[in-house]
Amino acid sequence: MPLLDVQDLFVRFDTHGGSVRAVDGVSFTLEEGETLGLVGESGSGKSVTNLAMIGLIPSPPGTVQAKTIQFDGRELFGLDDVEMRHVRGNLISMIFQDPMTSLNPLLSIGRQLTEVLELHKKMTRKEARGVCAEGLADVGIPNPERRLKQFPHELSGGMRQRVMIAMALLCKPKLLLADEPTTALDVTIQAQILELMGALQHKHGTAILLVTHDLGVVAGMADRVNVMYGGRLVETATTDDLFGTPRHPYTSGLLASVPTLAGDAEAELFSIPGAPPDLAALPPGCAFEPRCAHADTRCAERVPPLEPLAENAGRAVACLRAEELTSPAGGAS
Amino acid sequence: MLRFLLRRLLWFAITLLVVMSVSFTLMHSVKGGPFDNERTLHPSIEANIKARYNLDWPIWRQFLDYVGPLNLNEKRATFLGGDGSDVWGGVMTGDFGPSYRYRDFTVNDIIGQSLPISALLGVVAMMWALSLGVSAGIASALRRGGKLDLALRLAATGGIALPNFVIASFLIILFVFWIPLLPVAGWGTLQHMLLPGFCLGLVFAAYIARLTRTGMLEVLSQDYIRTAYAKGLAPRTVILRHALKGGILPVVSYLGPATAGILTGSLVIERIFFIPGTGSHFVNSATNRDYTLAMGVTILYTVLVYGLNTVVDLAYTLLDPRIDLENE
Amino acid sequence: MATRQGRDHELSDEEMRRLLKESKGIKGESLWNDAWRRLRKNRASFWSLVFLALFGLTSFLVPLLPLPSPKALTLQIEPAPPDWPWGPERTYEDESYEPGARPSVEKGSFANNGWRHRATLEFTAPAASAEAIVALVEALTNRSAAYEAREVSGEYSHFLTVPLHRDDVPRVDYSPTGVEGTLTAWRVEAEEGDEVHYDLKVATELGTVTRWSVEQRTRRGKLYVSAEKDGATRSYQYEYTLGRNIAGKPRMLTLNGTLLPIDDDSVPRSRRKHDLQTVETRERISEPHTDLEARVRTALGTSDLGAATLAGVQIENGYWDLGALDEGLVHLRGRLFGSWQTGNWLGTDPKGQDLMARILWGSRTSILVALAATLCSLVIGVLYGAFSGLKGGRIDNLMMRVVDILYSVPFIFVVIFLITVVNEYRTELEDVYGIDREVIFFVVIGAIYWLTMARVVRGQVLSLKNSEFIEAARVIGASTSRILLSHIVPNVLSIVIVYLTLTIPAIMLFEAFLSFLGLGIEPPKVSWGTLAVESIEAVNRVHVYWWLVLFPALAMGSTLLALNVLGDGLRDALDPRLRGKD
Ligand SMILES: Nc1ncnc2c1ncn2[C@@H]1O[C@H](COP(=O)(O)OP(=O)(O)O)[C@@H](O)[C@H]1O
Ligand SMILES: [Mg+2]
Repeated sequence: MPLLDVQDLFVRFDTHGGSVRAVDGVSFTLEEGETLGLVGESGSGKSVTNLAMIGLIPSPPGTVQAKTIQFDGRELFGLDDVEMRHVRGNLISMIFQDPMTSLNPLLSIGRQLTEVLELHKKMTRKEARGVCAEGLADVGIPNPERRLKQFPHELSGGMRQRVMIAMALLCKPKLLLADEPTTALDVTIQAQILELMGALQHKHGTAILLVTHDLGVVAGMADRVNVMYGGRLVETATTDDLFGTPRHPYTSGLLASVPTLAGDAEAELFSIPGAPPDLAALPPGCAFEPRCAHADTRCAERVPPLEPLAENAGRAVACLRAEELTSPAGGAS
Repeated sequence: MLRFLLRRLLWFAITLLVVMSVSFTLMHSVKGGPFDNERTLHPSIEANIKARYNLDWPIWRQFLDYVGPLNLNEKRATFLGGDGSDVWGGVMTGDFGPSYRYRDFTVNDIIGQSLPISALLGVVAMMWALSLGVSAGIASALRRGGKLDLALRLAATGGIALPNFVIASFLIILFVFWIPLLPVAGWGTLQHMLLPGFCLGLVFAAYIARLTRTGMLEVLSQDYIRTAYAKGLAPRTVILRHALKGGILPVVSYLGPATAGILTGSLVIERIFFIPGTGSHFVNSATNRDYTLAMGVTILYTVLVYGLNTVVDLAYTLLDPRIDLENE
Repeated sequence: MATRQGRDHELSDEEMRRLLKESKGIKGESLWNDAWRRLRKNRASFWSLVFLALFGLTSFLVPLLPLPSPKALTLQIEPAPPDWPWGPERTYEDESYEPGARPSVEKGSFANNGWRHRATLEFTAPAASAEAIVALVEALTNRSAAYEAREVSGEYSHFLTVPLHRDDVPRVDYSPTGVEGTLTAWRVEAEEGDEVHYDLKVATELGTVTRWSVEQRTRRGKLYVSAEKDGATRSYQYEYTLGRNIAGKPRMLTLNGTLLPIDDDSVPRSRRKHDLQTVETRERISEPHTDLEARVRTALGTSDLGAATLAGVQIENGYWDLGALDEGLVHLRGRLFGSWQTGNWLGTDPKGQDLMARILWGSRTSILVALAATLCSLVIGVLYGAFSGLKGGRIDNLMMRVVDILYSVPFIFVVIFLITVVNEYRTELEDVYGIDREVIFFVVIGAIYWLTMARVVRGQVLSLKNSEFIEAARVIGASTSRILLSHIVPNVLSIVIVYLTLTIPAIMLFEAFLSFLGLGIEPPKVSWGTLAVESIEAVNRVHVYWWLVLFPALAMGSTLLALNVLGDGLRDALDPRLRGKD
């Protein structure tokens, strides 16, 4: 049984501009100790997917629907607030994109760390401090006792993200939702943080759902990758398969738009034409159809289901022409 | 911190000097001086009075004597050949001199009697303002867009728009005449302070409610609030521990102006409720041409406002660790 | 398939021209259009604006409205409750006349207590002449007259009342005689309880004092003296100003004028407080009379109403000294409405003055003071802030330090102190420089409210000076004046407007506050502050005169509320960060 099993997750926001279908029928599973990448352009619903799983979608304006969200044998969908609070930060933790704004600037690091343990492990503040200092040391923060007394503004961005990771791992959760954990950081710091996450995952056996729009991050970290577009999953595959033979035109486009050192310096970077879809007014067919070079009339008629490929049952693509377009580099004309 | 305080002190000294010299010059530039009324007094009596208030001195000497810290009276000051009984004197030693109108009292006597009353009134008003303002602001922010929010915001705008004497008259009618819960006017028990304090504090409660609401909304939209929820904290804990502190920061920086405003408002409120505070003495002194008293109160209130502002700034640094006073 | 963008950046001439033409076609919505659109969307702000425009117009036109006099006193012990226009008709008793026999002609009624801007002509004539007299007066004055008649011991008195016009009042001009005299006056103090009564005695060697008067507030008075000149007894009128020590504390002064010969000894010398002063004397210049009385007399002489005589003219002025514009409006009011006026629709105050008239006149005063003071603060603040911001560097630093210092002073106290001191020079300022109290008042208020304006303007100027779009304008070769006019001024203006709408209510409150403390507008003039004093006094009595509390509060509250709402709305509408959004 997988650690996490999400089936048919829908999230809708009712705003003045109309009803936004931010997540539109997303299903996926995540095994224990596995790292699953979730990539897509910004606005494609990655964060909303994450937040929906731990019940943090603000309502109003948001409404969440799902067939099931099974976590470790428990149904999360429909849990009441008290039970959900027991899951959050305890069994499932989350790290956010911007470490600069994700820590409370008015409370000391120590206070923000200890409150997690006080809440979930019923420790006293003193006991918690010891555990927290260890936690900080674990994420490679020197002099943790002193850091506990400091405030967020006294730490650099990388340090703060380490604090966030330490905070997320305090209760030894089974699942870590990492929402673009490195996007706001310098490239060198990014690498360190990713390395740290990998090491910690090894040590604690935590499963990670790694959300990012950076394919490089996914390539280095994830075992499997889900590609999201317009609130729907369009492709799911192991990392190697995905990078080797992308099957969805969107995935191909994404891969082609990554600059490579080996590439021709004079050659122009590829960019997918057109703009990301308006989630309040999705076309009736494939969401990618207006931007797709391979689209034909069928694509505009109905939403293509995410179907396993005949040749490889481990991967699935939501494209009607996936079988026809076997050419791996389809798209880079 | 020390440097901050020292710099504050320096500016304070300059401010005070400006206030003192301007008001002193104005006071002494009045035609015939403050005892103009007695111009037709017998010359010897007039001379007596002038001597009593040192009005026969050149103005610079009067000013130096007034400011202090040295007493320039020849009978007292040793270096002028006096008996040395009173070397120190003047505003710098906390001595505002004799009242021009109440012959047997010094300004210090009058302030000493009335200031505790005004201070209590001010504290009661501030309590009202803070308790009403902060709770209304939080309620309003949490129920954003709802009926309660609308009602509270309307009340706050009304509270800001209506002068306190208008509110006072309505409340007197309501709580003194229609539902006789509170005494009419006067001074003595805490009950006497409730209504005046409320009337005085209401405007500030309205401002505080507004500030709290915007502050809370701003904080509640921050990423770290989402982090707090993601930790599994209960909404109440999130609001009280994570949001409130940042949400009321604007209120803290408003406390300085609010104090000044409460002192000002007390002039009217003390008059309406017949409270013998410093404010009513000040208004009387202004119409009585009791210049020393008026000037004393002005200086005292300048000191109070300045001092309280400094305290507020210090309190702000305690609440917000990001503020660094050294580099202000 | 991907789109690849052209690499060549050189545009052909033709293309350039096309682009330029296209860019001219792009019409940016101006800041003001955008702001106005957004303001209109904000319903509360929009209606506040409408309300304020209407209220402002009404206040401006108050002298034109057929309102009862805001200052006429009646001998009334209690405030009268509202007399709603739709309520039962109330009869006003005018006790000054004994009811007598009624002749056949009766036009209107001037027994209405509030209407006091009028001239009453009294004729003695047989009852039959009534219609002819009314016709004569109405034709002569071009106004409709209220008429009443009484029989007193067989003789008929006809009373005609017409609205007062400016030229009805006898204008007396005096010219300096070149003679200087001395006025001796003294006051006697007697303590009764805690109030001090002054007995003012006047004597002068100019002649025998026949009559004298003094206006308590200004301490100015008139002295009517009869003296022998060229063998005949003549009357003179002298103007004088009482010395400070005579008038004493104006607030508690009760004047009991007694005319005494100069050598009167009834008051012991020891208890007298003398005020010897030189008075400049002026003699009345006789000129052809053009006032109402003179005109009626002339007309009566040439008419065939042989038996009628004009017994007297009584002039009642319903207003305080009005400016030329207001006089004109009052005149127009007489033309438009004649003697018709509203009743005491909102009740009266304890002195019998009509509350509605007082509220409207008070709003007018408050609005005018607020506007003038705001303008004053605007001028000082903008000049100071703009200068500081444009100069920059050390001067800017110094100027802003000064603002900082002034900020930390509790200003109300300094202002009150200042007003007290200025009060000492009041008479002098009014006489010599013609500056009256209100002017001083709003200059002083304006002089403290400029601080924030200066800061705001300086900040804006400073940030604009270094902003990229000014750089851009400079780069494309815009002249300094163009940059100032088309970039800096509009941008500063928007923030100034926002700040103004927030300053005006603050100053209104401050005016009310000072008037409340007796340091602002003084009776008989009204402002919101004086109205508030009256309402508070009404509350503290046993009986609750609710209308005295409610109506002024409504006027004040709604105006201030509207101003605040409008200010908030304007701030949102002019906020560039919210541009284009709804
Ligand atoms: N609180 C909200 N109210 C309305 N719309 C929202 C809200 N949160 C997210 N959305 C919408 O959901 C869509 C997906 O957002 P998100 O999941 O944050 O994208 P990303 O993939 O960049 O993380 C966005 O288009 C956004 O407009
Ligand atoms: Mg996101």
